[in-house]
Amino acid sequence: MIRQAKGTRVSTHRLVHIYRSEGHEVAALSGVDLEVAPGEMVGLLGPSGAGKSTLLSLLAGVFRASAGKVHVGDLELSSASPRELDEMRANDVSLMLQGAVRNLLPYFTPQENVRFAQGAARRAGKDLPDPEDVLARVGLSADAHRPLATLTPGHLQLAALAVAIAPSPGLLLADEPTSQLDHPARDRVLGCMADINRDLGTTIVLVTHDPEVATFLPRTITIRDGRVGGEGRSGEEYAVVTPDGFLPLPVHVREDLAPGTLVRFHLVDGSYVLIPEPTEEADA
Amino acid sequence: MRLRYRPFQAIAIATLAALVTACAAFAPLYDRAMRQALTDIKIERTAPAVVGLQLRAIASDPRITFGSHVRTRPPEPEAVLAKVPEDMRASYLAPVLGYSAEASVPKGELPPTDAGGPTASTGHVIWRDGACDHVDFTEGGCPTSAGDVAISEADARTFGLRVGESFKVPGIPLNQASATVPSARLHVSGVYRQQPGDYWFGLSLTGLSGIVDPETDLLQHDLWLTDRATFTDSSVPPLNGQASTVDLPLDRDAVGVDDVLGLAGGIQRLAGEARHDTGVFVDVHSGLPSIVQDIRDQTGQSRVTVPLLMAQLGLLAVIVLWLVLLAVTEQRRPEVALARLRGRGRRGARGLLLAELLPVALAGVVPGAAVAVLGAWVARTQVLPGHAPFELGLRFVAAVALAVVVLTAVTLLAVSRVAREPVATLLRRVPPRRTGWSLGVGDALVVAGAGAVVVLFATGGLDGPVALAAPGLVAIVVGLVLAHLTSPSAAVVGRRLVARGRVRFGVSILDAARSPATRRVVAMVTVAAALAVFSADALAVGDRNRAAAAEQQAGAPMVAEIRGNDLAAVRAALHEVDPDGRRVTPVVRMLPPGSDSGGTLAVVPDAFRRIAILPGSAGSASVWDRLAVPDTKPIQATGTHLSLDVDDSTLVSRREDGKPSPVTLGLDLVTRSGETLHTTFGDLGGPTHHRRFGTDVSCGDGCYVTSVWVSTLPGATIDGEATLRHLVGTPGGQEATIGPADRWRSYVDAANGSFRPRSTAPDRLTLVVHSNGPSLVSMAQTWLQPQAPALVSRPLPPDLVTGRFTGVGLDAEDQPAVRVGALPRVPGARPGTVVVNLDAVTRGRTVSAGARMQLWFAHDDPAFLARTTKALADHDVFVASTSTLAGTRRTYDESTAAWSLGLAVVIGIAALLIALLVLVVSAVSTWRFRVRDLAALRMSGIPGGAIGTMAVAAQLPAVLLGVVAGTAAGLVGAQLALPIVPLFATAPEVSTLDLATAWGGVAGAAVGAAVVLGLGAVLIGRALARRSDVRRLRETV
Repeated sequence: MIRQAKGTRVSTHRLVHIYRSEGHEVAALSGVDLEVAPGEMVGLLGPSGAGKSTLLSLLAGVFRASAGKVHVGDLELSSASPRELDEMRANDVSLMLQGAVRNLLPYFTPQENVRFAQGAARRAGKDLPDPEDVLARVGLSADAHRPLATLTPGHLQLAALAVAIAPSPGLLLADEPTSQLDHPARDRVLGCMADINRDLGTTIVLVTHDPEVATFLPRTITIRDGRVGGEGRSGEEYAVVTPDGFLPLPVHVREDLAPGTLVRFHLVDGSYVLIPEPTEEADA
Repeated sequence: MRLRYRPFQAIAIATLAALVTACAAFAPLYDRAMRQALTDIKIERTAPAVVGLQLRAIASDPRITFGSHVRTRPPEPEAVLAKVPEDMRASYLAPVLGYSAEASVPKGELPPTDAGGPTASTGHVIWRDGACDHVDFTEGGCPTSAGDVAISEADARTFGLRVGESFKVPGIPLNQASATVPSARLHVSGVYRQQPGDYWFGLSLTGLSGIVDPETDLLQHDLWLTDRATFTDSSVPPLNGQASTVDLPLDRDAVGVDDVLGLAGGIQRLAGEARHDTGVFVDVHSGLPSIVQDIRDQTGQSRVTVPLLMAQLGLLAVIVLWLVLLAVTEQRRPEVALARLRGRGRRGARGLLLAELLPVALAGVVPGAAVAVLGAWVARTQVLPGHAPFELGLRFVAAVALAVVVLTAVTLLAVSRVAREPVATLLRRVPPRRTGWSLGVGDALVVAGAGAVVVLFATGGLDGPVALAAPGLVAIVVGLVLAHLTSPSAAVVGRRLVARGRVRFGVSILDAARSPATRRVVAMVTVAAALAVFSADALAVGDRNRAAAAEQQAGAPMVAEIRGNDLAAVRAALHEVDPDGRRVTPVVRMLPPGSDSGGTLAVVPDAFRRIAILPGSAGSASVWDRLAVPDTKPIQATGTHLSLDVDDSTLVSRREDGKPSPVTLGLDLVTRSGETLHTTFGDLGGPTHHRRFGTDVSCGDGCYVTSVWVSTLPGATIDGEATLRHLVGTPGGQEATIGPADRWRSYVDAANGSFRPRSTAPDRLTLVVHSNGPSLVSMAQTWLQPQAPALVSRPLPPDLVTGRFTGVGLDAEDQPAVRVGALPRVPGARPGTVVVNLDAVTRGRTVSAGARMQLWFAHDDPAFLARTTKALADHDVFVASTSTLAGTRRTYDESTAAWSLGLAVVIGIAALLIALLVLVVSAVSTWRFRVRDLAALRMSGIPGGAIGTMAVAAQLPAVLLGVVAGTAAGLVGAQLALPIVPLFATAPEVSTLDLATAWGGVAGAAVGAAVVLGLGAVLIGRALARRSDVRRLRETV
């Protein structure tokens, strides 16, 4: 049986990531503050190009932050050495890439892929479950020794999930794990991830732009324009005040309040009331 | 599992690895096989006496001065044999022991014959172990006791000796003061006839009988055979010049190249040690050291050519392997990224790739080594002569080990290159790639390095092994630069084509422009085509030069050496078998003694021009017609007494003081043997109506009248006319026809005067003389050439502006000659040889014994040679030896220089196969993307036929471009490298070196490359098009 894993805490502080494109510098993330508690299952939502996958890559240590801090467990990634990053990936953090086949060595069976994924952790002395047990957890025991080319897309994604949890990581980062799947397969994958989160206490951060997936998750964080644009908990949408006091408006509010609109905050019966000032145009 | 997933890639890598190994391992095997073959044929085709070991020991006494005889007997042959170390003995067959000594019979000692034959002789007597088994006795038997001798049949005839007769030969006195000369009595026990065979070690027992010894003026006798006791028994005194001999025949079947090399050193050591023994002088003789030196020289040459060719092919294979590994590792970037994401680090990622690729690469080692061994076996059995044994040796093992190291290093480098990339880069679906005009650091370094070496070499700054890589380096520079320019250029061209509406072709070119495979294909096809073209050029140039050298050396398809100098007999015999001189022609060669000049080659111009193998335009009739001489008949006079009538003479001579002086009249006659007789007929005191002169001459066999002359006192003039008639020789009484005037050449000199003929009748000649003072003026017969017209093959000294010079005549005397034309070189002759008309130079001259007479045949026709030989024999002329053009060519072909160049065929084919492999590997490693692109085009409505055309057009131009560039690079490389490629084992005496491009070979290689690689590109393009099903657009594993 797979042993209980302790979830890894994740936090970012004013995280900035800038990349160059066609000679120009583009800010993918411009000051993201995030806190994910151990054992949480969090979804990163947002439109394409918002910076979700970039944030995930920064959490996995694939990218180095241009500014700010990224803490994964006790390790601060922006100053971590390559060796520390390798150790982190071997033992504590698994990244599931978008597209199942990108997570699998094409010439190995699911069982061999799982064994390969456990290699570094096992060498580091980590006590790990047998590959068969890992595959059983995602319901792939029957396909353990089949060539990948014979698996359905859903089973390929489950195999990718099995590979990701093979080293019993404290943090599972998944980029669009349900894209290109039909609904039953999607539900099965999400169910497996929820089971892992619940049974093993693995912290899970997944990126999705599928609203149906978002409803499945206990907590979602919306990334917009490189910032945390909001947060949803149990179906309720919240705006999040940043550490420096900024408050991004929810999308539907932005449609009403054009840029440049002056607003006032009034405390009324313990609740803040936001009162926009009428514009000259409106007066006219 | 991993191999099964990408089997074609595995096969390609293993094939290339095998090729690299084969290149490395074949070089030492082939080199070794060439050495063995060379050793084999050198030993096989050299006389046993030359390759064997001969020792000759004589007793030496330092107290005895030169010229005196040593009475001490030489050591026994067994003792001499013991000086040869045991390890050397193993390479030789059973020795033949012997003794030899002088056996000169003083006058009167030989029994007198009825015919009054000679009673003395000089020569040698020998004992040779087992000799009686190698002679036939026509009379008597084998000598069995001291003093018995067997004589030759010729000696029995020459000296009238019979079996049972005996005579004495002198021995050595007890001391110098002794007046008594001991003598040994020899008994004739038999008359032998020598059986030819290797036993005799080249020793000819006969051939001397009856020939005068120039030192003693005695007749020589052949070698006499005797019993060993003659040299060891105390009853026989020591004979003069007694020596013990040991002949060791080389065991040709047992010795290999290493034994021969070792033996040469052993022989030289033995010779050095043996000479230092006190009391004995041992002369060690063997031709083996010089053969070994030749083998070493040729081996040195092969060490230039074999690496030149093999290293470049190996380099090409390594580069292709490198590119293939780059493509393969590039394709595995996602796998490397996975290994990194699973915490395996760079080392783990490298390990992942190495675990897959290194076994595949090393799997090619054993097949590669096997291919090398197979290739060497084919070379041994099919290409190289001789019977070289199969050997592997340390160099083979070292070469295989080197291949393993290179393969491991190349794989490790290619793998490390990907493994050390950041994870973020590895995760990108499209890796960052240089697409502009700028050159990458790696490419720039290679281009700069290789380019610098080529420039250094072209400007003479480099020599030796580095220079050998010139063709490969030129090709690499051209290939890389062209490959680099191809992508951006193709992009520009593609965009323009699309803009002009030629969408399909434009898209194909754009497809090629964005594919990294295009660059690889251009670079590798360029290098491969360059190697193929260079190899073909080198092979053809080598072949052409060997053919030219052989033709120059042979002179004609077949040449027979004639014994003796009887030109008339030779020509008579030739007239019988080939009356019009179309199949055979006589050639007489005269070399001035002690000179390295070319000498004179006397030929029959018309026949020689047709039969000899002449260089370039030298065969033009206009050149050879210049050697023609007037076809006039000689004036012949025969008899021991000649008489001549002088009529109507007005010839008068006046001294400076005005007083008259008699005029002497005479003729120059040349005997049949070439001797000139300056013959005076008589004096004319003044004008006379008729005088009859007569004189005795040595013209019994006939003489030629070569000139008529008149003389007087020095300073006196001669004027007047006289008519000569009735030149009659007796006995016989035949009258010589001395007219008409056109048979004589007028003499006109502004200072000396003139001597002209005037006559219209054949029976008379009127002399018109006006002499201003020389004592003698003459007029030559036109049959005699004053200067032989000559074709020269070397510039004459600049002072000879008139073209007149003196060469050597066939009679070994000076031969006045005049240059009438030039030949670049004379076939079958040394540099500087002068070619003259045989008819012209034999008029009035003989062919001396020192001249070499040959017959040159138009065809290598043994049947015609046999007929000619018979016809010659009927005239008592014999053929000494024959040589053929084919045989001469074989001596050039059977050399390491030729065999090494033979590798060019292998190199050219292998280079093209490698390039074909590059095309296949490029297609295999990128087929998924390309098929998907083509499927997308198909989906957009482009018909299947057009898809096929576009798939082909994406690759074919790159291939053809590479072939064209490679051909140019190969030509440049050939220009740079060919001058240092050894074409001959030893440089021919007359250089026929021609390193001009062999356009036939080059065109063949270029067309071959274009066809093979172009066809490959077409087939690959069509195969990709066939797989471009729209279902490919779905992502698959």
